[in-house]
Amino acid sequence: MKNTIKVQRAIKDVTQAQLADIIGVSRQTISAIEKNKYVPSTVLALKLARYFEVAVEKIFELTEVD
Amino acid sequence: MEKTYLLPHRFKKMGWILLGLGLVLGIAMRFFGIDSDYFGRIPFLGIVTENFLTSNKHFFEIAENGFLDELVAVLIILGGVLVGFCKTKIEDEFILQMRLSSLVWSVYVNYGVLFLAVLFVFDMPFFDVMVLNMSTVLLFFIIRFHILLHKANRM
Repeated sequence: MKNTIKVQRAIKDVTQAQLADIIGVSRQTISAIEKNKYVPSTVLALKLARYFEVAVEKIFELTEVD
Repeated sequence: MEKTYLLPHRFKKMGWILLGLGLVLGIAMRFFGIDSDYFGRIPFLGIVTENFLTSNKHFFEIAENGFLDELVAVLIILGGVLVGFCKTKIEDEFILQMRLSSLVWSVYVNYGVLFLAVLFVFDMPFFDVMVLNMSTVLLFFIIRFHILLHKANRM
């Protein structure tokens, strides 16, 4: 799975730490998701989508290997 | 979220202090010849004890015992459990996953070592392995988990 969180963050102009704080997770988690080292739960994905005000599919996309 | 059985974050510092103290004393006992009587002997209630020579078992007997070895074990168990199982400042799903994978890893490594020791180590050295094995599963877990946390921190 790939994601556009970095782009979405740039649009909203928030740092990883700020985003983590708003969503209620650790900064490491945001960083790990951006680096595709961690696939978030549905709840976390929905929270991110709600904050960025886009559909979940705009942030997360399946790749060949999934 | 599901119940995690983790302890509050505020006990973690206390855990490091207890574990550190236990490890220092434990290392002193093992490598610097300090024996369990070093700080004196105190009476314990032994639920089961055994006479070394006659192999007779005694139940519920008060017996004097050097307490340093008990102190070391208690410090390492309490400290290790607190350090290992107190929540991190923000214990979220990614950290829980690292916690789980570290725990699985440490159980594998711990029992891997024990497995080899069962086959290749005998008599008193095997007893030594068993004594160390009491705490190594916690120690391996703590080390592994904190390495993963540190790596994640630097990402």
